[in-house]
Amino acid sequence: MLELRAITAGYDRRAPVVRDASLTVAPGEAVGLLGPSGCGKSTLARVAALLHRPDAGTLLLDGTPVRHWRHRAPRAQRTAFGVVFQQPRLSADPRLRLTDLIAEPLRATGRREEIPARVPELADTVGLTPDLLTRRPHEVSDGQLQRACLARALVLRPRWLICDEMTAMLDASTTAALVAVVEDYRAATGAGLLAVGHDRILLDRWCDRTVHWDTVAPAGKEGAVPATPGR
Amino acid sequence: MADTTVEKTNATGAAGAAWRGHGAARRSTHTLRLRVSAALVAVTALAVLLVPPLVQLDQQAVDLSAKLLPPGWSHPFGTDDVGRDLLLRCVYGLRVSLLVGVVAALTATVIGTAVGATAGALGGWVDRAVMRLVDTVSSVPHLLLGIFIVAMFRPGVWPVVVSVALTHWLSTARIVRAEVLSLRSRPYIDAAVSGGASRWRVAVRHLLPGVLPQAGLAAVLMIPHAMWHESALSFLGLGLPTHTASLGTLIQGARGSLLAGQWWPTLFPGLFLIIPTLAIAGLAGVWRERINPRRRSELML
Amino acid sequence: MLSVRGLSVRFLLPGGRRIAAVTDAHFDVAPGECLALIGESGCGKSVLVSALLGLLPANAQTAGSALLGDLDLLTADERTLARTVRGRRIGLVPQSPAAHLTPVRTIRSQLEETVAQLTGVRGRAALRTAAERAAERAAFPVDHLDRHPHELSGGLAQRAATALALVGGAPLLLADEPTTGLDRDLVDRTVDELRRHVDADGDRALLMITHDLAAAERVADRVAVMYAGRIVELADAEAFFGAPGPRHPYSRGLLDALPDRAFTPIPGMPPELGALPDGCAFAARCGRATDLCATLAPLTGPVACHHPIPAHDGKSPSTAAPEDIRA
Repeated sequence: MLELRAITAGYDRRAPVVRDASLTVAPGEAVGLLGPSGCGKSTLARVAALLHRPDAGTLLLDGTPVRHWRHRAPRAQRTAFGVVFQQPRLSADPRLRLTDLIAEPLRATGRREEIPARVPELADTVGLTPDLLTRRPHEVSDGQLQRACLARALVLRPRWLICDEMTAMLDASTTAALVAVVEDYRAATGAGLLAVGHDRILLDRWCDRTVHWDTVAPAGKEGAVPATPGR
Repeated sequence: MADTTVEKTNATGAAGAAWRGHGAARRSTHTLRLRVSAALVAVTALAVLLVPPLVQLDQQAVDLSAKLLPPGWSHPFGTDDVGRDLLLRCVYGLRVSLLVGVVAALTATVIGTAVGATAGALGGWVDRAVMRLVDTVSSVPHLLLGIFIVAMFRPGVWPVVVSVALTHWLSTARIVRAEVLSLRSRPYIDAAVSGGASRWRVAVRHLLPGVLPQAGLAAVLMIPHAMWHESALSFLGLGLPTHTASLGTLIQGARGSLLAGQWWPTLFPGLFLIIPTLAIAGLAGVWRERINPRRRSELML
Repeated sequence: MLSVRGLSVRFLLPGGRRIAAVTDAHFDVAPGECLALIGESGCGKSVLVSALLGLLPANAQTAGSALLGDLDLLTADERTLARTVRGRRIGLVPQSPAAHLTPVRTIRSQLEETVAQLTGVRGRAALRTAAERAAERAAFPVDHLDRHPHELSGGLAQRAATALALVGGAPLLLADEPTTGLDRDLVDRTVDELRRHVDADGDRALLMITHDLAAAERVADRVAVMYAGRIVELADAEAFFGAPGPRHPYSRGLLDALPDRAFTPIPGMPPELGALPDGCAFAARCGRATDLCATLAPLTGPVACHHPIPAHDGKSPSTAAPEDIRA
């Protein structure tokens, strides 16, 4: 169970981006978080993935409150999350070949010996051909790079997937392909999913349940979210 | 654009098509600049590496009968006020100046990169403390600080290196810190953290390789700067002992004769200082264009 | 208005590699019409825009012609393009307006500069009113003119960029992925506004490059589908998105991948532009491929395929007529 309770977070304590946001994702559940751009939903996703320490509020992971974020979080806890971001160009280290990109979490956690088996298997899952694996990010297209980023998120077999606008930059076919990969993984492992996006049709189709930002953070930030309680 | 060549080739389509190139003129000055700079740097490097082992210079030898000869066949650059051949002394001086420049620039870059990367990667109070220290040091005029450091040691090459290195890592530290800070907010660092990477691994695997090109560029640009500093210190009589040929001591020693109309003892060491500076700056400019991501992506389509 | 004939662009890479970014593109854009060029990222759409604006990098080569009126954009020299074409005859609506606007100057100063450059209006007061009129035309609120780009929301930045594109009264608008990364509501608003500019003065045309099929459906009169550098289908938007549906298997696959349709991806990935097969580039991913697909199908009629999906498996059989190509 992933529970976000009354989270307030931002980059400046005086003007938090997220105010009093609450959201729950049950194990195996796929929740879509829908909201306009700039409303703070990406920040909330970063909080949920233990990548951004909130100013206030609690994050409960299977009932126990999380006390540390980023590097201070226990490694087992932060590797329980697989994260995919909106822009593949920015979320891939420009110097690493795609195969190293996918294998990096295994190296970082000292599981080098799994690389020869796990990387080709995952590359095949996300639809990357072996010749693409030897290239660097600037030599492949956005869609191919996002496939590699998804493979990297799956390589440690996370129990939770956080997809922050994963498909916003992609064409329809690649979107459908990546969503299918995520759904196959979830069907096989029972992982939970928090998918953040602004496309209602996509999230409705993809997730078990779609929640709108206005219901997640009712206080909202003045101006950014129109005060329409009748959603 | 339109004046470029029209080339006939088989198109992948049905019939042959006329391919037109675009904007070929812009590249030629670019390659010309690269070649001239590279050639000058190569000549400089060869001269300082090969000449001293081949032609010995007795730093102390004087020949007053041949003093202040204008440039001519036997002495292409003329002689100085105690009759020493200026060409040879210029090459030896350039050797000392380049040695000081390269070693000092490398040291300064290593210090600067380490300090800047630490500050940028750790952030928080470490960053603030380190950067205040940098601000404090850089608030002292660095020539003054350099003079102070040199004055603590006996004259020689190494005090000059130490002095130049210790006063020049500040800008590199600032550049590296800014670069690390901008890289640190990239999603790929987030992805690495989420993938279980430790602080050390993030710094060594993702941040440092990202700033090395910038740091290297800073180092290259610092070589001429360090040479100028060595010359300035020597010119003030604080750096190398006066009989040792360095570009600074050469110019300093020739100050008196310049007023009497003998221009060559100052002109040639000055040129030896300026030409490698321009050549290195030219190479660095090409390098900067190469590491500029927009240009690279343009070549990649 | 714009008539593109056999336009090809290729890049020469170090090591003798060649990348065929656009191959043999034929299409027209008529006054008062909106043509949406659809395709996934990396299929050569943006290169096509750069070619039309004469903004290709130095290692590119072009072939064919792109006639804007009687001027061939591909052979025109830089001087002509800069003085008479860009901004005056072609207005560019950029991909990311926030990056397109100069961050350190207000919208007003950028608009005034563009107005002074393109229309020859002189004098401070005249420039001011002209800039305000330009802002109003793009529905940019005049009281936001003194702001800097980073103080604007995504939608307003898009309108500011559109205002800049409209200043010169260019009869052809080129929109390069104008909706990437915007919310659905904002996408709808942006494309509606673009459409309004086409309809407002009846002789303006819009060429919109996009991978967003919903945006294309909303705005376009005709649709060109690009795959691996080639235009594989050119059809009326109504027929394409509506009853008979697309006839090229690739276009059909793209539509089927939409979340409000079948939501099934096309298997495989597009081929490399540097190593295109001799025959149909889509054959490897096509469920209907036959031996015939080892040769290239020319774009005859609306679709470049040896085995197009018959037009009559929808309701109205005769909508996708070959008159789509105006030769």
